[in-house]
Amino acid sequence: MWTPASTWAAEALAVFVKEWRCEFRTRYALNTLGLFAFTTLVVVSVNLGPLGVSTAQGTAVLPVLLWLILLFSVAAGLPRTFVQEEESQTAVALRLAATPSALFCGKLLYSLTLVFALAALVTPVFAAMMNLTVESPGLLAGALAAGGYGLAAGSTLVAAIIAQARSKGTLFAVLSFPVLLPLLLLAVEVTRNAVLGDAAGVALPQLLLYDASVTIAGLMLFPAVWNP
Amino acid sequence: MKNLLAWLLWLWISAVIVGAFYYAPLAMGFLGESSRILFFHVPMAWASFLGFIAAAVWSIRYLRSRNPAHDRAAAAAIELGLLFGVLATVTGAVWARIMWGAYWNWDPRQTSILISLLFYGAYLALRGAIDDQDTRGRLSAAYAILGIVVTPFLFWIVPRITYSLHPEPVINAEGKIEMESRMQHVLYASGLGFAALFFWMHDLACRVAALRERKPAP
Amino acid sequence: MADGAGRQGYSPPVPTSRLVFQGVRRRFGRLSVLEGVSGEAAPGQVLLVTGPNGSGKSTLLRCLAGLLAPDAGSIEYREDDRPLDTAERRRRVGFVAPDLAFYGELTVRENLAFFARLRRVEPARGLALLDRVGLPAERMAGTLSSGMRQRLRWAWALLHRPRLLLLDEPFQNFDAPGESAVRGLLAEHLADGGMAVVANPSSLDFDHVDTRIDLGR
Repeated sequence: MWTPASTWAAEALAVFVKEWRCEFRTRYALNTLGLFAFTTLVVVSVNLGPLGVSTAQGTAVLPVLLWLILLFSVAAGLPRTFVQEEESQTAVALRLAATPSALFCGKLLYSLTLVFALAALVTPVFAAMMNLTVESPGLLAGALAAGGYGLAAGSTLVAAIIAQARSKGTLFAVLSFPVLLPLLLLAVEVTRNAVLGDAAGVALPQLLLYDASVTIAGLMLFPAVWNP
Repeated sequence: MKNLLAWLLWLWISAVIVGAFYYAPLAMGFLGESSRILFFHVPMAWASFLGFIAAAVWSIRYLRSRNPAHDRAAAAAIELGLLFGVLATVTGAVWARIMWGAYWNWDPRQTSILISLLFYGAYLALRGAIDDQDTRGRLSAAYAILGIVVTPFLFWIVPRITYSLHPEPVINAEGKIEMESRMQHVLYASGLGFAALFFWMHDLACRVAALRERKPAP
Repeated sequence: MADGAGRQGYSPPVPTSRLVFQGVRRRFGRLSVLEGVSGEAAPGQVLLVTGPNGSGKSTLLRCLAGLLAPDAGSIEYREDDRPLDTAERRRRVGFVAPDLAFYGELTVRENLAFFARLRRVEPARGLALLDRVGLPAERMAGTLSSGMRQRLRWAWALLHRPRLLLLDEPFQNFDAPGESAVRGLLAEHLADGGMAVVANPSSLDFDHVDTRIDLGR
């Protein structure tokens, strides 16, 4: 009926399931990410929405704001996935029991679902509140998917690094910003193209290349980060 | 032997300084003598990036060997990268002020070096936040390698972004091929000098760090 | 390969394994905690590590478990005459220590099921161990008393049928039934050809001690 998890993938899946099971019982990340995102959203739209940003200004500014909201929400809620393991000392058991690459992928999958859920919730509300019309919704979805992936992957690896240091909160922001900056710039550009409906010279391939690079770097570096 | 090399380096850089002011001509289109900053500002930027690459190489070596000397070498490379990066940024900003009226223009190169400074600072902040030597070594090594993987993307994106925001042409300091040959001589000589200076300082920094670690336990 | 000393006619029914460590050193900053510790454990044997507080017992066990890298020295672990590297050893050992914690938001059963899946072991094994140590399966791990947490640590340690047990203060917080349950499990482990390295602040009444290291200064 139930067979032993004999594959690496099943191990990663077990980690993923465990993350979500714990998350549903505490709702920490969902609350943090959600509250942070919507608070920022309200602040932004209160200032820019009613004044009616002109289309030209809107196209320049709004994609940046959207990604800033996503970035800061992720920074607020995502590092906990590794920080919590260290602080509640469950990391010892994990170090002895889990295959590092499977652990990384399980955590990455969890981060991905969080980021995608966040993006899916925030973006329509953002577009509505800011009166933003998007010419290529397909490209926007691509930007959010590829950009969100990079955000999750980069943040997961950096979270694993800072979890074993002191002053984790500030350290995460300090370390992740330079790593995520190229991603953000690329994602903003593709988002801007999606808003304008201009597909020429779209930076989506570079974005995907970034995603691939960070994933490979994460898989290769995580064992050294996780284990002594 | 090392003393001899140090003296040679001193001579070389002195020659570069003299050459910058007396041998190389002034660049066209620059105010007064200001183009002479070129011979120092650009090699400093090169030295800064050299620091980043050296740190990544030492980091990879450290992860393989777990030899603390490799970790010290990586940290020293980043520190020097930060030093030269700050110098490059400041000299660049001074020059930008003279030439374009503003210290900061978000010119692609200015932006790239600023972001690399952020990396160096983050790396050093990480090291400062970890007490255990082994943990510090491998976590900062991982971060340095992650950094070197990610920064090339900046060279693709930053020009696209800044050009889209600042449509007016940004004059790049080294009008590459059009540079007078004597300027090229001094520039490359200076580049070599600064690279040698980097490695000399790096060697010193590693030795100091090693001595620090050998302090007897209380 | 020696039989357990003092056990006549003992032939291990399971493949042989051996733990040998030599000259293990470890310092934290300027503080040298382990200064060249050596020892070994063979099937059916218990290696007892004694010493006062701060003498490095926990550090040694963590090095043996692969949770800490020693600054110098070697740790060799073989199973079936096949040497295992640190990563493999890390996954193969059974570890009990005071700082081992589990997921408070999950039940005891869910915790063991999760680790069973990581260890590629059937979850029924977890339930059986819960029975042996005497733990209610549906209790939230965060609500366990200290004695029950210790039982959970033992159940977790034995989940994957390890050949080598590394036990750091293994009997702390136990009441009499708990302690006798795990002593029974330990005896079975040794009888099956397993080895154990045990660190205790005081030499408790421990009948199976075959070798002893004293880290006291």
